[in-house]
Amino acid sequence: MQEPFRAAASHVAEGDGEIAVTVRNVGMDFDGVQAVKNASFDLPKGRFLTILGPSGSGKTTLLRMIAGFQTPSSGEIFINGEAVSAVPPHKRSIGMVFQRLALFPHMTAAENVAFPLKMRRRDARTIPDRVERYLALVRLGGYGGRRIHELSGGQQQRVAIARALVFEPDLLLLDEPLAALDRKLREEMQLEFRRIQRELGVTTINVTHDQREALVVSDDIVVMDQGEIQQKARPIHTYRQPRNAFVANFIGVTNFIAGTVRDVSEAGDVSIVRGDLMLAGKVGDPVNPPAEGDKASGAIRAEQIRLAGDAAQLSTLDCVLTGTVTDTIFEGERMVYEVACAAIGDEVIRVFDHDPAAHTQFDIGQSVFLGWNARDMLVFR
Amino acid sequence: MRAARTAYPLKWRIMDALEGVAAAIWPARFGRATPYLMLLPAVLLVGLLVLGLIQIADASLRTLDTTTFQFSDDYSIANFRRALTEPLFLVVAQRSLVAALIVTAVTLVFAFPYAYLMVRTRSPGLRKFLLIALFLPFFIGQVVRAYGWLIILGNQGMVNEALGLVGVAPMRLIYNYPAVLFGLVQYMLPFAVLMLAPALTAIPEELEAAAGSLGANWVRTFIHVVLPLARPGFIGAGVVVLTLSLTDFAVPAILGGGSQDFIANAIYDQFFRTSDQGLGAMLALMLVALGSILVGLVFALFGAGTLAMGRSRV
Repeated sequence: MQEPFRAAASHVAEGDGEIAVTVRNVGMDFDGVQAVKNASFDLPKGRFLTILGPSGSGKTTLLRMIAGFQTPSSGEIFINGEAVSAVPPHKRSIGMVFQRLALFPHMTAAENVAFPLKMRRRDARTIPDRVERYLALVRLGGYGGRRIHELSGGQQQRVAIARALVFEPDLLLLDEPLAALDRKLREEMQLEFRRIQRELGVTTINVTHDQREALVVSDDIVVMDQGEIQQKARPIHTYRQPRNAFVANFIGVTNFIAGTVRDVSEAGDVSIVRGDLMLAGKVGDPVNPPAEGDKASGAIRAEQIRLAGDAAQLSTLDCVLTGTVTDTIFEGERMVYEVACAAIGDEVIRVFDHDPAAHTQFDIGQSVFLGWNARDMLVFR
Repeated sequence: MRAARTAYPLKWRIMDALEGVAAAIWPARFGRATPYLMLLPAVLLVGLLVLGLIQIADASLRTLDTTTFQFSDDYSIANFRRALTEPLFLVVAQRSLVAALIVTAVTLVFAFPYAYLMVRTRSPGLRKFLLIALFLPFFIGQVVRAYGWLIILGNQGMVNEALGLVGVAPMRLIYNYPAVLFGLVQYMLPFAVLMLAPALTAIPEELEAAAGSLGANWVRTFIHVVLPLARPGFIGAGVVVLTLSLTDFAVPAILGGGSQDFIANAIYDQFFRTSDQGLGAMLALMLVALGSILVGLVFALFGAGTLAMGRSRV
């Protein structure tokens, strides 16, 4: 009865697929301020890429250049192999969901979704059918006649997605559209984005400062800071093998212990010295490893540290320190302990404790042991 | 307690004292009446206006005896009949109405790009320049401005001299209908821009970017997004320009040189030249009626626009 959605490309396609977007040495200058510096990456067709970074990292500027609202100061962007710097936005085949959605308030939901089809002069007889199909895709079947202000925040999000997808663009851009939603709705919409993207197989670039969103929705994550791409990797690698201290710090809760590099092995084992303390770890960035005598810091995730009341319980771990609990923070699914360790000058180490079977708790002021494995500590310059 | 008070900042103590005085004059239990009290000056002003209107209505029904220069004691609709039948008044009314419509259309067309640029420009310098250029004419009165145009457009004016340099014979640029229209558009432009600018400010720039990414070039973005959303501004500006043009006196008087009278000029003539206050009052009432009908028509067709304030009809 209705034509099927465009055949979905496999979302799990690895990097050997056809390239949809290439960003090549792209830079952007705003009156001498470099918002984006020499950014390069390839995005294969059908994949979901998230550009993750703090505000002011240049992620939105990069997205706006891909959309065509800004022209790169240097470098070139290719969409389906074609250089697009001279192509205005309305001639690019890009659907975009804006930060504040940018729905047209003087139109109904259906008129909003029909807008790109009318602007692209599609056959008028097929438009109502197609609009209804895409409203159904975003689970808004039957809501077409509603005015925008008659819809809830989540429903407006869905209209914006349908409007960006209805003309089957080569590329879908998401400019932090979920930032304004409350947490529960945001998490629901994250999964919704992922479902729709997988159903249609549309190549997608999402921009966010929300690390959880990036990990949940993406096939690949590009981490940006101060205009520079810090790392491009799959979510699990971004989390488990951060390439530098910024990425390690920006995603997850990470403790850094500063020291001096003692020795580095070919295999990537490294140890750092802090006073009388020697800590064993792994080289964080194999491409650019630290050398003996360098200042470096060991990064250890809060969830990779175990806490115990006596040292015997931690006998299987490579590194054990003693400390005093200075604060306990109850977050519902887990307890966060802040522990001051004498061996590192009373610096505070944060530890997650979420063993549902253990009913023991540590009190503020209590002496504890904390330990971790050497393979979990990444050493960065 | 008194000692503690002195520890407060001076401003607080002055405010406390003022509040004390206010409470003595207008106790808190009168509070419900306060809004009405504040409305009083406006009500008085409008009331006076209504009283004047009643007097004009009274005068409009009395005819002037041209032999005695006395007004009749009884009412008749003779003035009304004269206003509708004498060709001069029909010509003047038609001239005013057509001018008001043309001036409104042309002014809105010119005002939109000006307002749009003023609202959307990223350069604060350009915005300041446009604002100053907009307000400068307000400091020069309407009469002085019209007189200035006489000097510029006159037979020995700058424009004709410039035309003479390229070998064009002097043209009559003033004392005709186009000159009046030109003067009115120039006079109305700032009003229209000031009414349009807030309506344009209320349209998020992101909407235009969105329209672009959805495949609309700037013409279609303008037609399908900017124009419908700026409608309240166009209606407000249109109503203001329409009524001001329809009732204008100085521009047709000065740039028309007596040959291009509008309704207001005809009223002036009745009051101060022929001293037929009855007919003048009747013409004035008919002008009020015409203006009201036009504004009512606009509101009925397009909504009240920005003039309605508050809840907008989206």
